[in-house]
Amino acid sequence: MSTEFEPNVVAFLCNWCSYAGADLAGTSRTHYPSNLNVIRVMCSGRVNPLYVVNALQQGADGVLVSGCHPGDCHYMEGNFYARRRFTLLRELLEYVGVEPGRFNMSWVSASEGAKWKDVVGEVTKKAKEAGPFKQFRRAKINW
Amino acid sequence: MVNVDKLKEIARETISRDDVKYLIGWRQGTYGFRAAPYFMSTPEEAEELIFSPLCTNNLATYLTLAEKLPVPRGQEPDSRKVALLVKGCDSRAVVQQLVEQGISRERVLVIGCPCRGVIDQKKVEAKFPDVREAVSAVWDGDTVVFNLPGGSVAVPRQEVLAGKCLTCRYPNPVIADVTVWEEVAVWGSDDYVDVRELEAGSPQQRWGFWEEKFASCMRCYSCRNVCPMCYCEDCVLDRLNPQWIMRSVNTAENTAFHLARAFHLAGRCIECGECERVCPVDIPLMKLNRKLTKEVRDKYAYEPGVDPEAKPLQASYRPDDKEDFIL
Repeated sequence: MSTEFEPNVVAFLCNWCSYAGADLAGTSRTHYPSNLNVIRVMCSGRVNPLYVVNALQQGADGVLVSGCHPGDCHYMEGNFYARRRFTLLRELLEYVGVEPGRFNMSWVSASEGAKWKDVVGEVTKKAKEAGPFKQFRRAKINW
Repeated sequence: MVNVDKLKEIARETISRDDVKYLIGWRQGTYGFRAAPYFMSTPEEAEELIFSPLCTNNLATYLTLAEKLPVPRGQEPDSRKVALLVKGCDSRAVVQQLVEQGISRERVLVIGCPCRGVIDQKKVEAKFPDVREAVSAVWDGDTVVFNLPGGSVAVPRQEVLAGKCLTCRYPNPVIADVTVWEEVAVWGSDDYVDVRELEAGSPQQRWGFWEEKFASCMRCYSCRNVCPMCYCEDCVLDRLNPQWIMRSVNTAENTAFHLARAFHLAGRCIECGECERVCPVDIPLMKLNRKLTKEVRDKYAYEPGVDPEAKPLQASYRPDDKEDFIL
């Protein structure tokens, strides 16, 4: 068994573009790292920045938020709000000492199966480089 | 120049008006170098009003803290105004609350007091330890004069002013129905030196710095309670379902709490420094808030609490916002 560190990455994908893009990558039988735990949300604008903090607390080594390209949002403007929000969140996380590679954002449309593969590769690589996240991980509670 | 008699006169006039419910100002505290918030509803009470370097409290907090009782059927809601004394920084809080529609303009009467900087309790108490009596203070040129029991002492402003006042860019109220005396000249400029210092370190160094600070937090939530911008009726910190931030006091949950608190102020913090002032364990919260203020200024050329007609930063967007980190 390999002892290499395999990061745990949580991905919030928007229902209309990124999730369909990941689906396309799958149905096209593209190979990409399997470190991703996908959570489907209706829009990238629906992702509360606290989800990201919470994911890091509960065991994620990296987080990805992915949505439609700007201008292509199913809800017209959701990803524009998400962009502002997560630009600031990323700065804040970096400022308290979270390695910059841990939080990522991407635009992947429903037809970009190949791009999805690259994004996942990149995100996994960055999380692997940053190593296991333990700065503010929640202590395990044994009930 | 600061003229407290004129302030009292204006307060008396204001409170005599039929459409004013009460006036929020400052009065001398019971001990030491403190001023206390003062709620007055009769003209006679104006005698106790003060405006001095001790008036650190940001009274804009009380606009949204007022209890909203249900109106009995058949009665009209009390639509009288609340009059409020503001310094420059406090007025920005009022503006930001107006921008977010937390308060309505018709319900507040802003009395502007151009300010020459307020003291930092901790700095003054270090200089004059063990003062039990109530001490008043006045501005005098480039000094602050404390009327101590043993006689008056003048101290250079630089030595006793709060950190936020040394870099203050808005000593004059940005919104006011009445300005009590003439505006003062702006003395400060802000390059975010403290933020840049910390940014220069490695992620490990930064985490080392914050871990120590966050670990000492005891989650009293004073910073949230005193903040004029924290007025959600249903605060995420109090919610149990879903509970995003656990109540246990440990480094992990404290960090999540401080990230959430700072992030909820992104593009809203008006840098009045109240959170840092009330913190019982001296966490440099402004260093966290100011990071986001700096990013907001650099990335979006946005400054909260300056323009009452502006839109809230996170409820607006520009199609060409920067996105250099997005894959």
